[in-house]
Amino acid sequence: MDCQCCNKKPARIRICDVDENAIQEQYNVCPDCFALVKRYMFDMARPLMATDDVISEVQGLLGPADKALVLPETAGAITPLADSVPACPQCGMTLSEFKARGRFGCPRDYEVFAEHLDPLFERIHDTQPARHQGRLPAREGDSELVTRRRKSADLKARLEAAVAEENYELAARLRDEINQQDGTTREQA
Amino acid sequence: MSDSAFENFPHLLGEWLKGGGPDSDIVVSTRVRFARNIKGYPFTLKATEPQRAEVLALCEEAIQKIHLQRSVVTLELDKMAEVKRDVLVERHLISRELAGGEGPRGVTFGRGEMLSIMINEEDHLRLQWIKSGFDVDRAYQALCKVDRALEKVVPYAVSDNYGYLTACPTNVGTGMRISVMVHLPALTMKDHVDKVFKAAKRMNHAVRGLYGEGTRAFGDMYQISNQATLGRSEESILESVKAIVPRILETERQMRGQLYSEDRSFLEDRVLRSLALLRNARRLNVQEMMSHLSMLRLGVDLGLITDVPMQTVNEMFILGQPSHLQEREGRLMNATERDTTRADLVRSKLAAHSN
Repeated sequence: MDCQCCNKKPARIRICDVDENAIQEQYNVCPDCFALVKRYMFDMARPLMATDDVISEVQGLLGPADKALVLPETAGAITPLADSVPACPQCGMTLSEFKARGRFGCPRDYEVFAEHLDPLFERIHDTQPARHQGRLPAREGDSELVTRRRKSADLKARLEAAVAEENYELAARLRDEINQQDGTTREQA
Repeated sequence: MSDSAFENFPHLLGEWLKGGGPDSDIVVSTRVRFARNIKGYPFTLKATEPQRAEVLALCEEAIQKIHLQRSVVTLELDKMAEVKRDVLVERHLISRELAGGEGPRGVTFGRGEMLSIMINEEDHLRLQWIKSGFDVDRAYQALCKVDRALEKVVPYAVSDNYGYLTACPTNVGTGMRISVMVHLPALTMKDHVDKVFKAAKRMNHAVRGLYGEGTRAFGDMYQISNQATLGRSEESILESVKAIVPRILETERQMRGQLYSEDRSFLEDRVLRSLALLRNARRLNVQEMMSHLSMLRLGVDLGLITDVPMQTVNEMFILGQPSHLQEREGRLMNATERDTTRADLVRSKLAAHSN
């Protein structure tokens, strides 16, 4: 039997989805593809994925050309676990501990690990750039204005999306909202 | 912790189980949750016991300061028996993680059980509002009021780039998760559930079992929720949930209609057998109860059963859970005792409505 991921090499490993002690689904893969599957399954920094999604993800990685052995390193999806940054001075969290647990130790970690976060956030939240678009607490200095500025950027993005989808009713509503927002911002300035 | 908070628990239910609200033929409840942390403290994972105690005290004080309108119940979980904590989980007032956690932690909830505030879960504060039916806007607005009041009395950990900072990178940004609990018996029967869920996933929404992450979908109950919290405003998350859920509801209604018109005797047979079983069983395990209640719920919705109110069906879903049964009886029971007690409960609830 050929590997379900690459369709080339013989399958030597069987992955079983077990639910309530019964096997629900089986996948047969070769050792090379299994190495990739494993990285998806045990990378705690990403949300838990269903096995069939992992398989299709790996199939996607392999793609049309035979780039299987280069891609995982360059795709940015899986970075080596070596610690290239010092531990957080506040809570002692190291980068490798963060990757293993998939949890931050304190707010400061967001600064300490900053350079590693954007690719992670972009992947998890399927967004680019990985920047906050929502509101912020009112007490944070000028954040009311910051929030409004962000909000108007978000409205514009949604307007473009609505137009692309030919959802003109929504687009009209968004346009009105943007005009109203701009008016308020000018008054404040 | 006063025991009086628990007196009525095994008998009465929160507002959201009334079975009303928009689209209540399919949607049981809509829940909005905000994850928030307090500036100057490590997240719960890295917090020492004294730090956790401080955070708990700080949050409780803040909650008192904002004068929530309705009377609230505040419980400190490390001082409670396991079965009582599990009752709160079965009620969706706290998460399994908080129930099974360690050290100083607590929950505050309103008498109507719509608002609940978990303290020292993975994040210092988890605020949630549950409404019955599909009612995203009202649940969101109600929770915003609590959040805005709290932010004035306690400093949240935020950054301009990443918004509300959370312990898990999947919650950062708005910290907002909307979960819609839906009952999808027809889609399940017709084996279409997977297809619908894959479509939801492609649109960045996750589908989980009844009690959240990693749990099974007992009784054909599922939770649909937004996955992304960063890079979108609260409004656009609300909008996407409001766009996706109705599509799933539409498909479920179509399937129900199809089953009803194409194979009515099959459907009636399934529903009425379930009713007969629930009316007569002397032992019921939780899984069996939930799968038959699912058919009962479907029967009530399609008008095949007219003498059982939806609220009674919803009640049995919760009151028949293991910890509720034990709390009601006031003692710990083994599995067989629970199955017998559960069957008794279901029979008596249904007897109250038989003609």
